[in-house]
Amino acid sequence: MLLKEKTIMEDRVRLICKRTVVSTKPVEQGRLYRFSVFDHVMEPNHIRLVYYYRTSKTREPGEITKKLRESLAYTLNCYPIVTGRLVKETDGTEENRWKVKSNDAGVRMVEARATGTVEEWRRSVNREEELKLVHWEDMYHLPYYWSTFYVQVTEFESGGLAIGLSCTHLLADPVCAMMFIRTWADLTLTRNMMTPPLFHSLPPRRFTSHKLSNNQLLSHYIRSCSLTAPPSNVTEDRMVTTTLLFPDPMVQAGENEQGISPFEILSGLLCVCVSRAKGKRNELTDMSLCLDVRKLLRLDQSYFGNCMVYHKVHYSKPVTTKDRLLLLSYVVKEIHNVTKGLDYDTVMDLVEWLSSNNNNPISNGSDLVCINLENMANSRPMMFEEDLMLSHVSCYVEGPVAGGGQAIVLPSQLSEGPMSRVVMVTLPQREMVKVLEDELLQSFSPVLLMEYTKLLNQ
Amino acid sequence: MPREQMPEFSSSVKLKYVKLGFQYLVDHFLSLLLIPIMAIIAIELLRMGPEEILNVWKSLHFDLVYLLCSCFFVIFISSVYFISKPRTVYLVDYCCYKPPVSCRVPFATFMEHSRLILNDKPKSVEFQMRILERSGLGEETCLPPAIHYIPPTPTMDEARSEAQMVIFTAMDDLFKKTDLMPKDIDILIVNCSLFSPTPSLSAMVINKYKLRSNIKSFNLSGMGCSAGLISVDLARDLLQVHPNSNAIIVSTEIITPNYYKGNERAMLLPNCLFRMGSAAILMSNHRSDRWRAKYKLSHLVRTHRGADDKSYYCVYEQEDKDGNIGINLSKDLMAIAGEALKANITTIGPLVLPASEQLLFLLSLIGRKIFNPKWKPYIPDFKLAFEHFCIHAGGRAVIDELQKNLQLSGEHVEASRMTLHRFGNTSSSSLWYELSYIESKGRMRRGDRVWQIAFGSGFKCNSAVWKCNRTIKTPKDGPWSDCIDRYPVFIPEVVKL
Repeated sequence: MLLKEKTIMEDRVRLICKRTVVSTKPVEQGRLYRFSVFDHVMEPNHIRLVYYYRTSKTREPGEITKKLRESLAYTLNCYPIVTGRLVKETDGTEENRWKVKSNDAGVRMVEARATGTVEEWRRSVNREEELKLVHWEDMYHLPYYWSTFYVQVTEFESGGLAIGLSCTHLLADPVCAMMFIRTWADLTLTRNMMTPPLFHSLPPRRFTSHKLSNNQLLSHYIRSCSLTAPPSNVTEDRMVTTTLLFPDPMVQAGENEQGISPFEILSGLLCVCVSRAKGKRNELTDMSLCLDVRKLLRLDQSYFGNCMVYHKVHYSKPVTTKDRLLLLSYVVKEIHNVTKGLDYDTVMDLVEWLSSNNNNPISNGSDLVCINLENMANSRPMMFEEDLMLSHVSCYVEGPVAGGGQAIVLPSQLSEGPMSRVVMVTLPQREMVKVLEDELLQSFSPVLLMEYTKLLNQ
Repeated sequence: MPREQMPEFSSSVKLKYVKLGFQYLVDHFLSLLLIPIMAIIAIELLRMGPEEILNVWKSLHFDLVYLLCSCFFVIFISSVYFISKPRTVYLVDYCCYKPPVSCRVPFATFMEHSRLILNDKPKSVEFQMRILERSGLGEETCLPPAIHYIPPTPTMDEARSEAQMVIFTAMDDLFKKTDLMPKDIDILIVNCSLFSPTPSLSAMVINKYKLRSNIKSFNLSGMGCSAGLISVDLARDLLQVHPNSNAIIVSTEIITPNYYKGNERAMLLPNCLFRMGSAAILMSNHRSDRWRAKYKLSHLVRTHRGADDKSYYCVYEQEDKDGNIGINLSKDLMAIAGEALKANITTIGPLVLPASEQLLFLLSLIGRKIFNPKWKPYIPDFKLAFEHFCIHAGGRAVIDELQKNLQLSGEHVEASRMTLHRFGNTSSSSLWYELSYIESKGRMRRGDRVWQIAFGSGFKCNSAVWKCNRTIKTPKDGPWSDCIDRYPVFIPEVVKL
C-alpha cells in the first residue's frame, strides 16, 4: 500500500504549558445564570475559532503571550459567565437543566510555539493541523471542574501569532465568541473596553395578542429537535475542509437585484454545486441557513449568548432547467425569500414553542448548513498591538448542528474589496473533489486558501 | 432582673476603679514617693530660714580638691553610662511585596486544579476543600506562576525566578522609599526557609545590585516562619558591633519548590495555606536616622523549645511512603505553640509589663506556691503594655488560640486576621504585612508599642517589641493601598465551596 500523499510533517506546534487564567477582581459568589432556549437547543456542539496575526516587528518569545495573558485576566472581569462552571440544579420553576454558577474558576489557557511564519503555516496546513492551534477538551466526567472556554496562544518563531478560542455552543454562538476576541483586543490595545458584553435573558414578546401560528422556521425546529439518531447517509466518508476566497461574488453572478448579499449568492452557488456533486439530477440538496437574529429581536451585537436560528430553505418550484446560471439565480432568490421573510413574530413563535415544548437539542441531519458571519467585519480593525495585523480568521462548528456539510461565510481580511468573502467549506471528501472541479464554482475565480489533503487509498 | 444586675454592675464598676487606682499607684510609685519627700524638704527649708541655710552651706567645707574630685567622679560615671548603653537600633522603613493580580488564585481554581491533578485521589481533594473552607483565606491570595500550570512545574529555574521576582521587587521599592544607594549597605541578611540554592539567595541579591565586596552577608535557611525575627536579632547584634551601619533584611518564603505532590493528609495543609510574599527591611544605627526612622527596637526575645522531643518533631519535613517530600504538621501543634508562647511570655513579661501587673503576677505566684496551689494563675494583661499586636498569620487556629490565651479583643487581632485573608500565610514576612495594615489604617502614633510574635518549626517562639518613633501618615503605596478601604471584612467560620 502506497504511503499517503500527505507529507508526514513532524509536529510543527509545540505545547509549552497549560494553565488557568482568572479575572483580576473576585466575582460575586454564588450567582446562577440561566440559559435561554436558544442556548439549550445548541448544547452538544462546540465552536473553534482561529485568528491569525502577522507582524513586522521581532519580539522576544513569550513576551506577547504574557501580555495577552494579563489583558485576558482584565477582560474576564466583564465575563462572569465565561469564568463560571456548569451545574445542573433545580431552582424553583426550572427543571433540571444546565446553569452557570459564577464561581470565579477562570478559563483554561494553553501556550504553544510553532515553527516558521504565519504565512508559511497557512499555505501548507490542512484542517487537522489547523485545529492544533485551538485547544479543546470534551466535557470532563465532573462538569463542575470543566472549563467551558479554552484559549490557545501560539507564537510563530519567525514572526506572527495565532489565537485560538474554543467554547461550548451552550454558552455562545460564533457571533459572541468573535465579540469576545474583539473586546479582548480592544482592551489590550487601548486599555478600554469599547463593547462590553450584555448578559440578559431574551426579551419577552412585545405584543401578546399574536396567536401562535405555524411557520416554516418553527416546523424545521419541530422536525429537527426530534431527530435522535444520526441519519443514515452521514457516510463513513471523511469530512474535509477547504477555505476559499471569493474576490467579488456579486459581479460574477451578475446580480443586480437590490438587497442580495454575497452570503446569499455564495450559499446558492454551493447548493447548486453540492447538489450536482451528490449526483442529484433534478433536485437540489436540502439546505439550512444559520442566521443571526440579534437585530430582529432588537438586541445589541454585544448580547452574549446564542442568538442564531436555523432556517431550512424551501424550493417552491421543482427544478426543470439545465442552465446552471438560471438555477443559481433561482436558488439565490429562494434563499433571499428566507432571509427577507424572517421576521420578529416568526422568531418569537419559535422562542415560545421552545420554552414550552422542547427539551432536545437541534440536529441538522444531513443538510448543507450555511452560516452567515459576513457582517462580523468592522470598520475598526481588531488589533491587540499596533503592529499586529489580522490576516485571517478560521471558524469551525462541530456537533450535530453541523449537518452533512457546512459552509461558513466570513468577511475577508485581505484588501480585496468590501464584497469579498472567505468561505470555509466542509464536505465529505468525494463531494469536495467534485465541487472544487465544478466549472460554475470556478467561474467565480475562487482562490484556494487552505487545501484539504487527499488520502490516496480513498 | 434589673435589681440583681445593678449590684453586679456596680460591683464590677467598683472593681474596675479599684484596679485602675492600684495600677496608677504601683506604676508611678517612684514619682508618687518623690512628691512627699520634696514636700518635706521644702517645708524644712522654709522653716530653717536664710541664715541657717547659709550656715549649713559654710559647714560643708568646700575646697578645690574636693570639688575637682567630685566633678571627675560625676563625669566618669556618666561616661561609663553612655559607653555601656547599647546602641539604639532603628527600623528606618520596610517594604512588602505585592503580588501581581495575574497570580491570584480563587478557591474554585485551586480546587479545580487539585481535582484535575489528583484525579485518582478524591479523598485528598475533599480534605483540601475542607481545609480551604475553614482556613480564613480570601479569594485574592497569590501563588507563584509555576504552581498555576496543569500539572505544576516546580523546577529549580522556576523557583529562582520566583525568588528574583519577589525579592527584587521588594528591594527596589525599599531603595526608592528610603533613598538608599545599594553601595551603602553594610549588612545583608536574607532568610528563606525552604529554598536554599547555591549560590545563596543573599549572593543573588549582591549580584543583582552590585553590592560592596566587604559586605557582611548572611543567608538563614531552614529556620521556619520565625526566621524573620531571628534575622532582626542578628541584625541588632551586628549593629551593636559595627557603628554607623545600615542593615537590610529580606524575609521571604519561596513556594515553588515545596508543592507537595503526594496525598498524606497532614502534609497537604501547607499547599492550602502557604502563599507568595516577601518583605525587605532597612535597619540602621546612624544617629541621623532618629528623625526619619519609623520604629525603635526595644526588645527581642527568642525562645527555643527544641530540647523537648514533642516540640522538635511537631513540624517535621520528611518523605511520605511514596517518596514525596512534604512538611508533616502534628496534631498537637496548637498545644505546643501555647507552651512555647508561655515560655516566651515569662521572659518578656518583666521587660515590658508595667510594675502593677508584675506585682500582681508575683503575688499570685507566691500565693499559689505557699498558700493554695488551686488559685487560678494570674494572666498579666498585655494590653496595658502594647497598643498593637502582630501575631504571625500561620493559620486561623493560631490566631484564635493566641487571642484566647492573651485575652485580646477582635480589634487587636484584626491585623493578623486580615493579613491571613488578603495574603494567606506568607511565612516570615506576614508580620510585616500586618504592621503595614496597621499603618495603612492610620492607627500608628508616636510612642505606640508593637508586639510581633512569630512561631516556627523547632519549635520556636520569638517576640520583638518596637516603639513607634514618629506618627506614620497613611501610606499611598504599599500592599494594602488598593484594598484597605474594603477591610476589615467579616470572615465566616466556614466558606461554602
